[in-house]
Amino acid sequence: MLTIKVLGSGCPNCQKVEANARQALAMLQLPNGHQIIHVKDPLAISEYVLKTPGLVINEKVVSQGRIPDPSEIMTWLAEALSAQN
Amino acid sequence: MDLILELLNAGWKGLLDYLAAHVLLCLVPAFFIAGYLSGLMPKETVTRYLGPKTPKYISYPAAAIGGFLLAVCSCTILPLFAGIWKRGAGLGPAITFLFVGPAVNILAISYTGAAVGMDIAIARLVLAIAFGIVIGLIMAALFQEQQSTMANAALFEQKATLRPELWALFGLLIAVLIAGTLQIGLLKNTVFSVTVPVTLPGSVQQTLDALNLTLQGALLIALLVLIAPVAWRGMSNVLIGFNRWTWIALVLVAITLLLAAPTTSSGSLVVHFTGRFFAEAILLGALVYVVATKLERQELAHWLWETWRFVRQIFPLLIVGVFFAGMFREITPEEWVKQLAGRNTIWANLIGVTFGIFMYFPTLVEVPVARAFLDLGMHRGPLLAYLLADPELSLQSILVTGRILGRKKTITYVSLVALFSTTAGYLFGLALATF
Repeated sequence: MLTIKVLGSGCPNCQKVEANARQALAMLQLPNGHQIIHVKDPLAISEYVLKTPGLVINEKVVSQGRIPDPSEIMTWLAEALSAQN
Repeated sequence: MDLILELLNAGWKGLLDYLAAHVLLCLVPAFFIAGYLSGLMPKETVTRYLGPKTPKYISYPAAAIGGFLLAVCSCTILPLFAGIWKRGAGLGPAITFLFVGPAVNILAISYTGAAVGMDIAIARLVLAIAFGIVIGLIMAALFQEQQSTMANAALFEQKATLRPELWALFGLLIAVLIAGTLQIGLLKNTVFSVTVPVTLPGSVQQTLDALNLTLQGALLIALLVLIAPVAWRGMSNVLIGFNRWTWIALVLVAITLLLAAPTTSSGSLVVHFTGRFFAEAILLGALVYVVATKLERQELAHWLWETWRFVRQIFPLLIVGVFFAGMFREITPEEWVKQLAGRNTIWANLIGVTFGIFMYFPTLVEVPVARAFLDLGMHRGPLLAYLLADPELSLQSILVTGRILGRKKTITYVSLVALFSTTAGYLFGLALATF
């Protein structure tokens, strides 16, 4: 199971990252049970990144300060999955 | 019924004042600069000076500059603030950053300059940076903290460099803003005049006169109305790909700038092509060249997306705010404002600050409100006090920072900001009276 964290205070850009992450999950046709958590608390965000929006997969920061597109997120998801197995 | 009509009329007049050519010449480039800072300027250029090991004499100025460069959007301020405080340079620089950000971003300063006056805009910039640093130092001294155990130097170590082409682009954008707003002879004087060889039908001219519009003003408004749906179609998905509407929107924006640069007077069809027009035309040409040959598609997409995001977020609220500021000016008796804040006293400055705390205006709307106060006879000192306090201290922002900082620090911070804004307004008022 993957834990995906979207870091951001709820601004439009962070929502876009969350939407792209969901789309990437759907495109990979991953089985359910993966978790997407939207982290809004500034202090919790600063544990990972300074620049929002940020994206964290299994506690690893994969992107910050920009909006990655779904295909990029797909490669990160695939990497995280293969690292897990 | 008459009253309602009168109010609507006042709101409309307000809109005309603020969407006038000289304001567009400042706001349009400012939005593109804000988008550039947010989309293309890597935050590491500043954050690397805000780490836990940075000496104070570097971290405080860096925090102030960071407020100016990075904090165009309120949603990035709080995470950065928390990061600088807990994991980086500490409470002082974090407070400096928090203070400077909302007050001196590029949009607020250039809009203040165009709509209220350059003196107030520059005072707002200089005083906000100076006071941001002083308030940060005081907070750090009052709440002496051990170096946070959560400090994380690695977070701040990343470096970034901006390609020379991107600096050139930034320089050009600033030049467009300056060429559009600077009031000097070279830009203001007419190079040649042309009489537009059409006669407007009498009915059109009458309508324009009735609405207090010049032909130029009417065309500008028509362009803005046209840009809205085109930009919506062209910019909303710009991160995925450009389409025809993207380019049409950009061309329309360029036309808006070029149309706003010459001067006309109402009721006449003579167009004075000023130095400003030619400066804008040359700079826009250079911009097109740099963007077309030096900028990667992806960079352009991010820049346009961030610009569009600001426009969509701020502009509609601004128009509504301007309309209501116009109505507010109509119904507020001048005597009230003059009596409360017509002269530069400590008391008047305190009233300006208090008003700033209890009124919450969306980004930039504080500017037309300030303009309305100015027209109603408010002294420029208390006006500056209001402009310094309003973006810092709304009840809403106090609640949000309270959640991160805790009650004691928040109360201290708010009191310091109120104290310093009052003092700043008072001193500015005194300085105006002396010089």
